[in-house]
Amino acid sequence: MSMKCVKAAAFALCGSLALATGSTVAQEAQSLDQLLDFVRQGQTTEARENREREQRFAAAKAEQANMLQEAEAERTRQENLSSELEATFEENDLLITQKQEALRERLGTLAELFGHLTSTAGDLSSNLEFSLTSAEFPDRQEFLDNLIKKMSGSERLPSIEEIERVWFELQREMTESGKVVAFNAEVAKPTGDKVEQRVVRVGVFNVVSEDGRYLQYVPNKGTLEELARQPSGPYLGWAKELVAATGEDGMKKFGVDPTGPTGGSYLAALINSPDLEERWHQGGYIGYAITAVGAFAFLLAIWRLIVLTSVSSKVNSQLKSDRANTNNPLGRVLKVHEDNPSMDTETLELKLSEAILKETPRLESGLTLLKIISAVAPLMGLLGTVTGMIVTFQAITIFGAGDPKAMAGGISGALVTTVLGLLVAIPTVLLHTIVNGRAQRIIHLLNEQTTGIIAEHTEGNLRK
Amino acid sequence: MYWFDSAYEAVARFMDMGGNVLWLIAILLFFMWMLIFERVWYFKAGWKNDAAHAISTWEGRSERRSWEAHQIREKLISEARQKINQYLPVIKTMVALCPLLGLLGTVTGMIEVFNIMAVTGGGDAKSMAGGVSRATIPTMAGMVAALSGVFANTYVTRVATRESEFLVDNLTTDH
Repeated sequence: MSMKCVKAAAFALCGSLALATGSTVAQEAQSLDQLLDFVRQGQTTEARENREREQRFAAAKAEQANMLQEAEAERTRQENLSSELEATFEENDLLITQKQEALRERLGTLAELFGHLTSTAGDLSSNLEFSLTSAEFPDRQEFLDNLIKKMSGSERLPSIEEIERVWFELQREMTESGKVVAFNAEVAKPTGDKVEQRVVRVGVFNVVSEDGRYLQYVPNKGTLEELARQPSGPYLGWAKELVAATGEDGMKKFGVDPTGPTGGSYLAALINSPDLEERWHQGGYIGYAITAVGAFAFLLAIWRLIVLTSVSSKVNSQLKSDRANTNNPLGRVLKVHEDNPSMDTETLELKLSEAILKETPRLESGLTLLKIISAVAPLMGLLGTVTGMIVTFQAITIFGAGDPKAMAGGISGALVTTVLGLLVAIPTVLLHTIVNGRAQRIIHLLNEQTTGIIAEHTEGNLRK
Repeated sequence: MYWFDSAYEAVARFMDMGGNVLWLIAILLFFMWMLIFERVWYFKAGWKNDAAHAISTWEGRSERRSWEAHQIREKLISEARQKINQYLPVIKTMVALCPLLGLLGTVTGMIEVFNIMAVTGGGDAKSMAGGVSRATIPTMAGMVAALSGVFANTYVTRVATRESEFLVDNLTTDH
C-alpha cells in the first residue's frame, strides 16, 4: 500500500520536473536510478540557463537608464510647449473678445437688422416646412436651416448672396402660392410603390395627380403621398378635369382646401367623415333590423302587387265572358248562381255574400302586415336613436362633457336609425296605398257589382 | 329671359341650401299635383260623358222596378264611383307623406350638423350653418307641400262626393 504511494509521488515529481525544465520531456524513467540521473542533469542545465539570463539583464540595465533620461527630457520639452500654448490661448481669447466687441460696435443698428433677418428666415422655414411648394423646390429648407445656424452663432455674418436668397425665397413662395402649375414628381401610392407622375399644384392649397387623386405633402420625408382615402362626390371629377385642362380651356371649377397652407386639416376632416355605408353601420343592430324589415316589406309589397295585378286582369277578362271561370274570385262568386240558376233572390243574395266573404281574406292578405311595418319602422328608428343617446350620455357621465367632439359624433350616429326608419316607412306607406287600392277595387267589384252582373245575365238570357 | 334665369338661379340656390331631400319632396309634389290635375281634368271633361252614359243606359231600360233593375242600378253607380274615386287614396297618402319627408330632411341635416361638430369641436358656428339650413328648410318645404295638397285634396274629395250623389239622385227608380 505504502509502496504504491511512493511510486505515485515519484512519478508526479518526475512529471513536474519535466514540465519545469521544458527541454527534456517525454523520456520515461525506466528505474529509480535513472530518474535520479535525470534530476541531476536537469539541475545542471537550469543553473546554466540562469547564469545566461543574469548576464542578459545586466547588459540591458544601461540601456534602460538611457531611455529614462530621454523620456525625462521629452517631458520637460512638452511642459514648455504647454505653457507657451496657454499663453497664446489667453492672448487669442483676449483678441476674440476685442474682435467681438469691435463687431458689435461696428454692427450698431445692423444688429437689429440681422435679428429681423433671423426671425424672418425662421418664419419662412416653418412656413415652407408644410408648404406644398416644397415638393417642387426641395433644397431651400436645408439652405434656411444652415443660414439660421450661422446667424445664431456670433462668429460669422451672412453673405449678401444669402440675404438675397432669403428675399428671393420669400418672393418665390408668394408668387407660387398664386399659381396653378403642373410638374413631374415622385408620388408614393397607398400600396407603397413610388411612381413618377405629372402632378398639378393649385397655389399652396391642393396637389392633385394626373389620375385625378388628391395628394398630400409629407414634410419630414419631403415627398408627395396619395391620400389613402379620397374625397367623394364631385371633388374627384373636378380634380381630373383640372389636370386634363390646357391653357385654352378657360376657367375650371375646383374646390380648394382653405387650410392647405397649414397642412390641409379641412380636407382630412372631409375625407374622414363617414360615407353612406359607414353611416349605415353606425345604426348598429337596430339599423340592421330596420333594414331587414324594410327589405321584407318591399318584397312583400312587390309580391302582392304582382298577385293582385294578375287577379285583376283575370277578373277583367271574366267581366267580358258569359261563363263563370273558377280561376278568379269574381268567377267563383258567379259560379254560385251558375250552379243553381233557379234560386230565389233572397237565397241568392245570402249565398253570394257568403262566397264573397270567402274571397276577401285572400285578396287582403299581407296588407295588414305592410301597414304594421309602415307604422313600426319609425318607432324602431326612434328606439335606435334613444338607445344611441343613452350610450352617448353614459359616455358623458364617465368622461365628462369636456369633449364636444365625442358627444357630437355619438349623437350623429344615434340619429342614423331615425333616418333609416323614415326611409323604410315612407316607401312602405306609398306601396301599401297602391297595393291596397288594387285589392279594394276588386273587393268593391265583388261586393257591389256581382248581383248586377247576374241580373244582366238573366235579363240577357230572357231576351234570347 | 332674364326673369327666367334669375328664377332658375333662386331655385337652384334654394335646392342647394336644402340638400338632397328637397329633390325627393319636389318629385313627390310633382306626382301629387299631376294626380290632382288629372282628377280635376276628369271632373271637367271625362265625367260628363260617363255620367251621361250611365243615365242614358238607365233611362233606356224598359222597366225600372224589378229586383234585376235595382241590381243593375247598383252596378252602374258602383262603376261610376270607381271612376270618380280613382287615385283619391293615393293623393291622400302623398299629402300625408310630405311632412314625413320634411322630417327625414331635418334628421339628415341634424346628422350633418353633429358631424361638423364632431370634426370642428363645435367652436365654429359658421360652418354649422349649412347643416342647420339643411335641417330646417326641408321641414318648411314639406309643410308647404302638405298644405297645398290638403286644400287640393279637400276640393277633389268634395267634388267626388257631390258628383256621385248627383248620379245616385239622377238614376230614379219607378215604384
